[in-house]
Amino acid sequence: MSKYVERFNAGERVLHWTVALAFFILVLTGLGLYARSFFGYFDFFGGPRQGILFHKVAGILFAVCSLLLACSHLREMFTFDQDDRRWLRNCGGYLSRDKQEIPQGKFNCGQKLFGIFSLAATVCMAVTGIVIWDPTAFGRGLTQFSLMIHGLFFTLFIMGVIVHVYLATVGNPGTLDGMLYGKVRKSWAKMHAIKWYRKVVKD
Amino acid sequence: MARKAFLIDTTRCTACRGCQVACKQWNHLPAEGTVNRGSYENPPQLTTHTYNQVRFIEAEKDGDLRWLFLNKRCMHCGDAGCIKVCPSAGALYRTEDGLVAFNQEKCIGCNYCVNGCPFDVPRFTGEKKVSKCHACLDRVSSGLVPACVKTCPTGTLQFGDRAKLIAAAKAKGKKIYGENDLKGLGVLYVLDDTPGTYELPENPAIPASIFLWKDVIKPFGILGFWGAIGAAVLHYVTIGPKQLENGDDHDTPEKGV
Repeated sequence: MSKYVERFNAGERVLHWTVALAFFILVLTGLGLYARSFFGYFDFFGGPRQGILFHKVAGILFAVCSLLLACSHLREMFTFDQDDRRWLRNCGGYLSRDKQEIPQGKFNCGQKLFGIFSLAATVCMAVTGIVIWDPTAFGRGLTQFSLMIHGLFFTLFIMGVIVHVYLATVGNPGTLDGMLYGKVRKSWAKMHAIKWYRKVVKD
Repeated sequence: MARKAFLIDTTRCTACRGCQVACKQWNHLPAEGTVNRGSYENPPQLTTHTYNQVRFIEAEKDGDLRWLFLNKRCMHCGDAGCIKVCPSAGALYRTEDGLVAFNQEKCIGCNYCVNGCPFDVPRFTGEKKVSKCHACLDRVSSGLVPACVKTCPTGTLQFGDRAKLIAAAKAKGKKIYGENDLKGLGVLYVLDDTPGTYELPENPAIPASIFLWKDVIKPFGILGFWGAIGAAVLHYVTIGPKQLENGDDHDTPEKGV
């Protein structure tokens, strides 16, 4: 009997890592435009002009794949129940050393909230990105506003992803397995997603 | 070095546009195809080949028609929005004389300066390089005055030590536009009407979105980046990760609840 249980199929994994790669390229090329101290990052891409081109291509890739990823989990993302509210009040148990897991579905309340945030941030980045694609195409006021919003969600997105990466790797050992190999340990599933695990076992 | 500036006394301007021509001649800027729009104003706005331009303003006041002239150009702001937003150090920069010049070799064509400028001045060439009045950087650094000033026959355009120009104009009882705005403009106007009549902002300032972006969101972002990393590390060493219990990989969902 296997000690693993299937969590993400190959399609989901490829989509997730495409989004992650595009995000990484966007951050590196975006930082060069964000502040003068990061201007040197453009050298990784063969100069600022190519860096901006990379940013635009990666931007399309990111927007499309991130939206696909969100759309394929829409129902799970936006379904909250009593346990989720308890989870949120308890801050997911992350503020205490005591083990007090609140039963969660395939995605816990925090993951769902991060999914909704990602969807909203992707939409904001994509829309403002289109406006500043050619900074002279739309009016000055709209372009200035878009530059500001693009910068704001850039910082929020980075902060969100730092938390996401921490919690999905060293913060919760065993989580990364799901995104790397598609399977998680059954002990992991029982601890983190018992309601989902019960359903999987029943099927 | 003491800050230099233009003083443009619009009350003396006859709109001969010698300044426009002298600028093109010194900076090797080609002429542009024009269309008669029913005004002597030509071209209708600053372009990549027109660093300064005389605006012809027809203003009605108390039933009278006033014909006003304004030499428009880069204002060489003390707090320059274009330099603030430019990601490429040195593409837009302040000269020793306190004027705002550009270096097209360092320009990356992002167009941010177009949106950072409070006066909508910078233009982009076909090669996607910034262009605007640089106060004849080459002439000024050699102790000459800019070409437009040199050619001005009426004394409308003056150039020199900023403090002295202001003092001289004030001694004559003239009201100056731009003395303290944006840490002092490098182009000071003596206007013959309200700034609004000349389509100049009453209180010029860095656009609000640009200010929020560069002076609030940017520092917040750097704080947020290190804050998020710091919080993760702190969490890891204080509360610690949610370790998996070993040996509970059986098909018994009730366990571990």
